[in-house]
Amino acid sequence: MERLNSWIARLVFVFLYLPIAALIVYSFNSSEVSYRFDGFTFRWYAELFRDQMLLESLRTSALVGVIAAVLATVIGFLSAFALVRFRVKGRAFFVGAILIPLIVPEIVLGVSLLTVFSSAGLPTGIVTLVLGHVVITLPLATLVLMGAMSSLDPSLSEAATDLGASPWVTFRRVLFPLLRPSILAAFLLSFTTSFSNIVISTFTAGVGTTTLPLRIYSTLRTGLTPELNALGTLLVVATLGVILLVGVAQMRRILAGPRP
Amino acid sequence: MVDVNTPRTSRAAGYLMLLPAVAVIALLVIVPMVVIARDSFAVSDPLGGNLGGFTLDNYAKLLDPVYAKTLGYSLGMAALNAVVCTVVGYIVAHYIATRPAKTQPVLLVLVIIPFLTDFLVRTFAWITLLGSGGPFISLLRLVGVDAPSLVPSQLAVTLSLLYAFLPVAVFPIYASMRSIDPSLKEAAADLGAGWWQTHARIFVPLSASGLASSVMLTFVPTLGVFVIPVLLGGGKDPLVGNLIVTLFTEFRNEPLGAALSMVVLVLMLLSVAAAGLILRARSNRKAGAV
Repeated sequence: MERLNSWIARLVFVFLYLPIAALIVYSFNSSEVSYRFDGFTFRWYAELFRDQMLLESLRTSALVGVIAAVLATVIGFLSAFALVRFRVKGRAFFVGAILIPLIVPEIVLGVSLLTVFSSAGLPTGIVTLVLGHVVITLPLATLVLMGAMSSLDPSLSEAATDLGASPWVTFRRVLFPLLRPSILAAFLLSFTTSFSNIVISTFTAGVGTTTLPLRIYSTLRTGLTPELNALGTLLVVATLGVILLVGVAQMRRILAGPRP
Repeated sequence: MVDVNTPRTSRAAGYLMLLPAVAVIALLVIVPMVVIARDSFAVSDPLGGNLGGFTLDNYAKLLDPVYAKTLGYSLGMAALNAVVCTVVGYIVAHYIATRPAKTQPVLLVLVIIPFLTDFLVRTFAWITLLGSGGPFISLLRLVGVDAPSLVPSQLAVTLSLLYAFLPVAVFPIYASMRSIDPSLKEAAADLGAGWWQTHARIFVPLSASGLASSVMLTFVPTLGVFVIPVLLGGGKDPLVGNLIVTLFTEFRNEPLGAALSMVVLVLMLLSVAAAGLILRARSNRKAGAV
């Protein structure tokens, strides 16, 4: 039984990579009429960079992603710092409040944001996209930074204080350098989440601010093109880059909790 | 970690630092949800415009066969997906947690890569894999089975739902399994417990928190999916998510869309509460036993 389980688990890993493998292989497929593999080509990658609409949506997504991730990381950092290092009363209440967007189904968040934006007379566009994306990335950034701050050795800042460092100097010279990898992780995870979001964007994007996932989705509704396989392959490579930058150990702590 | 003698001033500073987050949650989460809860009771004109007032008509309309059918189908698909994700997630999490300490991070990264890959890419990769002329169909041809494209199909929808949600199930189950003392398994084996008993009496109960999180994070969120039924199911069998998108962006029937959204929200709150109750009952029993 144990061996059967191990085999099922191994098959699941195959299952996880079959679609990705197909995507990569077919992005180099020279046939354009069907998916039948005819020969090797870089053509679809070249066409990708000539597709003006796609490049435009890429710019929109990058812009929204950077602004939303910076905001989420800054606000998340402030919140995590207040929750972990200061004795604010009602800590559980604040943590719970910040985590609400993780519990509310994204589609409900999306339609309620659309309703409020339209009744407030706020036209959909970059601003509404950023606001929507901050909502879903803030809990992630806060969780990552809270985890990092609570695992810091408290004796480090005590030592700095004992040696006569002011709170600001302690923060700048001791805490901030130690937290830098986690700040980067919070930013990258927020950016990735914003960049690949489709649900919130469906309700908060306006005319002329189509994000990359919205563009891909509308293209797919008329059919899969070889360029999309090429684009997908590039995005898989980018994901690997993000994981390497965040670091495997930190990634594991974020998704599976601290070592018991 | 926490300074016992925090002066009053720094506590005030703490509240000040929480202000931006509180503003985001209050203005962009709480207020919008209150508005949509209010809208779900609003009277709508024949074109779906919001006339205000109070009525239960929107909720009553959801019982119409047109909507009830989608709701029923969605609940079935969501339950199926939650069960499959949790069972498969349990097998994978147990496999990872029982590997040597050095292999575990590698295997976990193998789950993280597809998880962090763009959701749409993960979805349309299934079209490449199962579509006409794709590797799967070609392989079937090779062995003499002349199958048409598997996209759109119910199978493609089911597989890509599992694909989309499986990592979300693996992480919490793995996290709870990591804290199980490995000597328990050895003790069980020494006492003659078989495979089934070891899992039923040790691994499943001790990873209950992970299993509950897994169900919570896969069941209701599946209801809200709208991309997969369109791209892999050909739009024939919509999920609640498709209905909500259509009501808001095409029919512009806000009150009805709001009522449907409230149903999804309440279901999510119920599943969170249920998971919470299961966990509390478990920790009480544990506390009682000690």
